[in-house]
Amino acid sequence: MKRSKKFISEVLSTLKDNIQRTGDPFGIKSVYWTGWTKGLNLPRSGETILLTARMYQMLPYIIQITGLVASARPFISRSGLATIVNVGNRIMGDKIIKVKSLGSKNIRSKGKKVLTGIVNALSAIGQRPAYLYEDEPYSGVLLYDLGLDEYIEDHIKKVYSLLKSHNVKKVIGVDPHTVFMLKEIYPKYIKNYDIEVKHYLEILSENKDALRKACKKSLDKEFVIHDSCYMTRELGIIEQVRRISASLGITILEPENTKLDTACCGGPIEYAFRDLTEKVSETRIQELVGVSKNILVECPICLINLRKYEKKMGIKVWDIGELLFGAL
Amino acid sequence: MDIKESQALRSTLLQEIGKCRACRFCIDVCPSYQATEWVENMSPYGRLQILKYLINGTLDEDDPLIYSLYSCLQCGRCDRLCKAKGQNLEVSNLIRLGKYLLSQGLVKGKKSEKV
Repeated sequence: MKRSKKFISEVLSTLKDNIQRTGDPFGIKSVYWTGWTKGLNLPRSGETILLTARMYQMLPYIIQITGLVASARPFISRSGLATIVNVGNRIMGDKIIKVKSLGSKNIRSKGKKVLTGIVNALSAIGQRPAYLYEDEPYSGVLLYDLGLDEYIEDHIKKVYSLLKSHNVKKVIGVDPHTVFMLKEIYPKYIKNYDIEVKHYLEILSENKDALRKACKKSLDKEFVIHDSCYMTRELGIIEQVRRISASLGITILEPENTKLDTACCGGPIEYAFRDLTEKVSETRIQELVGVSKNILVECPICLINLRKYEKKMGIKVWDIGELLFGAL
Repeated sequence: MDIKESQALRSTLLQEIGKCRACRFCIDVCPSYQATEWVENMSPYGRLQILKYLINGTLDEDDPLIYSLYSCLQCGRCDRLCKAKGQNLEVSNLIRLGKYLLSQGLVKGKKSEKV
């Protein structure tokens, strides 16, 4: 709690500068988000695009940055705060790509499997969306969450005009935060907003019979589901993931606090308050582990927050995209 | 945000917070309230009160208050509870708008403005 004002001030200023300078929350200019597409031959243009908004690809960097800030914070003196935040700032940007932290390889390959699974599933029901590769934008959801409304409009207009310049009419999102931004927040800033936005789970659910036929193997396993806050309460996407799971032969178990009453994983505040995040996620993981050691999530932020307990509690956290990857 | 917008936002926030009937059902479902073992400042109701007193000048921005407001997870469990109890306040969005107001003084390079 100590020095929170100064710390938050540094975080807000850094985020604003990074987005304005590079369009990326970490200020990374190098294209780090296209590697997963290797071998998939996704078309570069089309009226319907798959928008990852870099969310699964940025997970290794989130782990590195939050880890750095958390490990350094206890050692900082009263006057040393600015120094440590500046160290964080220096590591932000392209230099972070050179920092290799333990475990980042695992989360990178997990993210790749999730995205490939989504593409395979869409392909199995006859949908072949385009991908914008190096032009793919970030949605700006962190600006919104942190109340940096003054800078959102500029970012949203840039993203919208980029999508229009690619003649995009429909966006298929892969995470609830991006879909929420494009569906609920963008129309507030863009007059006559005309881009249709859907989460991939909605599309798969509408075609669940075709998906079932395309499954090469039934997974025949039990999972306890952790619903995402944004997915359920903001987007109303609740039964879709359950229908798809049934198509894959999976049995879904419901924990305490599920569907519209789902409990947060703690992820949204990890950028600054790791201690509190851990307390929140520990409460949630206890609820889930009581039901099953196989935990199913549908959001990249929930994925990195809950998978921290894999070794400690002998559990396994799966994203629904990974299960699609395994079944198709 | 210019002065007019800022005043309009303060007024909207005060009006909306004024609708809270202090039933406090929202506090029990808040994950940060649970995690801090029942510190009311870390609950939706507590955060709305902090915002109200920051806006009307009773409180001054300090570390604990900033911690309280910025540790809101924006998970929306309080919104659902408020709706279920018939009041239907967008609690998490009010807290988010409070952050917007605070950001005027927190983002570097801006002309600092006290809430």
